[in-house]
This record gives sequence, structure tokens and C-alpha cells, in this order.
Amino acid sequence: MNRQIPLVVCFSFGLMMFLQYFSTHTVARSLNLAILDYWQIIFAFTLILGVVSYIKVNMTKISRGIDRPYLIVGLIGMISMPIMALIWGIKADSPFMWMFENVQAPMASTVFALLAFFVASASFRGFRARSTQASILLGAALIILLSRSNLPIPYAENLSEFADWIRNYPSMTARRAILIGIGLGSLTTSLRVLLGIERTWLGGEN
Amino acid sequence: MHLLPRHFVFIGLFLLIGITMALDIDVDVKVSPYTKQMHAYIDSIPEGSTVIMSFDHEASSLPEIRPIALAMLRHAFSKNIKLIGVSLYPEGTLIGYRLMNNIGKEYNKTYGDDFVYLGFRPQYIAAILSMGESIEKTFPQDYLGYQYNAIPMLTSITNYDDINCVISIADGSLTTHWIEYGGQFDIKILGAVTAAMVTTYDPYLSSNQMTAMIGGLRGAAEYEKLFGMKGGGARGMLAQSAAHLYVIFLIVLGNIFYFRSRKKGAKN
Repeated sequence: MNRQIPLVVCFSFGLMMFLQYFSTHTVARSLNLAILDYWQIIFAFTLILGVVSYIKVNMTKISRGIDRPYLIVGLIGMISMPIMALIWGIKADSPFMWMFENVQAPMASTVFALLAFFVASASFRGFRARSTQASILLGAALIILLSRSNLPIPYAENLSEFADWIRNYPSMTARRAILIGIGLGSLTTSLRVLLGIERTWLGGEN
Repeated sequence: MHLLPRHFVFIGLFLLIGITMALDIDVDVKVSPYTKQMHAYIDSIPEGSTVIMSFDHEASSLPEIRPIALAMLRHAFSKNIKLIGVSLYPEGTLIGYRLMNNIGKEYNKTYGDDFVYLGFRPQYIAAILSMGESIEKTFPQDYLGYQYNAIPMLTSITNYDDINCVISIADGSLTTHWIEYGGQFDIKILGAVTAAMVTTYDPYLSSNQMTAMIGGLRGAAEYEKLFGMKGGGARGMLAQSAAHLYVIFLIVLGNIFYFRSRKKGAKN
């Protein structure tokens, strides 16, 4: 019974959302809006769950003494930001905004910028013409990089056209194949979940 | 491999970017057809039309996203287009509000009459679908706490039927959700994305599911050129071009070392 009820709820809502998509009736439209509201509310609760889980996992690690200083900083950040927002609000001159602009944004950008250094290192250490396929990939990468570099090199116009061709044909073909694959995979999985064939989302054993 | 230790590669890149960022040299960029398409579309929007600008990015991509957002905001405000700002990522909320507010002031625009910022809603798919039914029900209040009905420019806006297009400024795949879920309401979707995401959206652009797209710092520089301004995009072009050249140099050098070591190995 514990497993039957969630399966019935899942199937009913799945079927209802599928049918309402094809209807312009007022009842169908307002039902859709109500369900979308609930969806957002449920998502907000998952955020709370995430926060509680983060605090619990970190407290356990702190008590064990693993990476203690880092975890404490993380927890202080997690607790202090909502407190600041609740006390002083999130207006332009608030402490919350100051922390966001002067601590979080620069730190996030710094971590993101580190990618450039890893790319540089990887291009030297790993990007080798070891096989025919790797050589083709290497050639395409060099053409794209050169064409995007705004350099006054001979045949720059032709190089740019060739780079666009790579983007519009071989690259897009691969992208489309991946997208179609993802679409078919999502459709199959959705049907399996709705029909109760796929039950791993219920947890436990089948 | 030991001929060039990893820290030399890092120091080289750091110095190169530092020096080129300090130099104030203009790099002439050739405007791509993609950027021209985006500029032409924004230019063709009738004065007084309403456009949704969605700040779907995180703080980490700000150096790349900011020049694009600023150029597009300036273009839209200069054309007297009314803007509704939203964000489907929590981090983009504050950034979007700050950018829209600052550029609005620059063009003497009034909050509530010429632009409004509705803020963040969790679960982006639900938010996109819900706005297709009713923007008011999705955002009963704006970011500053004003009731939807009390905001003059929103009184005639019900759903996407009253919106000219959605511009998703994104650093990830969120624009895909605008295309896939917003697209069912026949709303035009435009993307301003990071360079790494450009090829992800090419199939959507090619199939006209996406109306226009600009990508990365280069896209920002091209847009600035078309709009006739010098901004962060143009300023970053020299550093980006130099970094590209550096990566090309490293790839070539790495391969020279590789083939030399292979030759040596074969001899031995």
C-alpha cells in the first residue's frame, strides 16, 4: 500500500498534466496554474531540506575534525547571509548586498577564472595528435581559436568562414544527435515512471 | 614534459592577461552575422513594446555576462523599450536588479513606468510555464514589494501575449528551458550566453526556435561596436585574443615535445 499510493498519485498527475496541455478550457488552465504553484512551493521546501542536510553533514564532519576550519567558514556563511537579509534587508546599501558584491561575487568569479589556467595547462599536457581522430580534433580547435583571435593574419576571412562551417555542420550535427538522444531518453524514462515500470524514485528495493 | 613545468604555464598566462588588460589598445572586431541578427531584432522592436529580460546566471560568470547585459540594456533603453526584469537563478536576482536600475537611471527611465524588476521565482520550468498563464499570479509583487496591480507599466500585461520577446542572459542551459517551455506560448526567445554555451544553442538558432543569439565577450564587443559604444567587451578583447594565442602556442609546443619524445623512444 505504501508503494501503491505514490504510484497512483504519480500516474494521475502525469496523465492530468498531459491532457491539460491539449485543452484551452478555463478549468484546465486554472488547474495547470494551481499545479505550477504547488510545484514552486514543493521546490522551496526542497531548498530548506538542502540547507538542513548541509548543516547536518557539516556538523558531523566538524565533530570528527575533518577540514574543520573550512567547514566552519562555510557554515558561518550559510547562517550569516540569511540573518543579515532578515535584519537589514537586501537593498543596495545593505550589509547583505555588500557581502554579495564584495565577497561572494569575486570568490565565485575567481573559481571560474581558474578554469583558464587549467585549460592552458591541459592544452600543453594533454592536447596531443596521438591518433587520426585526435589530430582532426586538434586541427579544428586550432582553426576555431585562430578565427576568434582577431589577428591580422593572412587569409583571416577564409579561416573565419571555415570556422563557421565547422560550427554549422560537423559541430551542429553532433549537437543535434545528442539532443535527439536526450529527448528520446527523457520520453522513455517519463513513460516508465508514469506507468510504474521505473520505481527507483520511490526508494528502497523494487 | 619536464622542460616546461606547470607553474610556468600558469605564470605565463597570468602575466599575459595582466599586461594586456592594463594596455588600452583597441582591437578591431569583425561583427558576426549572429550579433548583427540580434542587434537588428532589438532595433526592429517598436517603441513602447515590452520585453522580458531574464537574468539566468550566477555571479561566477559576471565578467563575461556583464558586458553583454549592459550593451543590451543600453540598446533597449535607448529605443524606449519597456523592460520587465526577472531572474530564474537566485544569484542573478541581485545582479540583474543592480544592472537594470543603474542603466535605467543613465537613460532617465522611471521605475514602474519604463522598467520594473519582478525578481526571483524558484523552479524555473514552473515559473516559465506559469508566466505563460499569468505573470501576475507568478509574481504577485515585484522585487521591491510593490503589488503587481499598483505598477503602471504592468496594468496592461497579463501573460506572454503582451510581451514582444524574452531575452535570456544565461551562463548555463537555462535558455534551453525558455525555448522548450516558453516556446509553446509562441513567444520569441533571444539568448545572450557565455562563449562556452554558444554551440549548445546553435541547433535552436538554426531551427528558428531561438530568434537570435550573441555569445561571450566577443559577442559583447561586437554588439558594442554596432551600438557605437566602448564597454567591457571591447576592453577585454585584447586579453582574450592574447590568451587564445597563448593556448595555441602551448598546444603546438606540447605537440613538438610529444613528437620529439616519440622519435627518441623509437630510436632507443
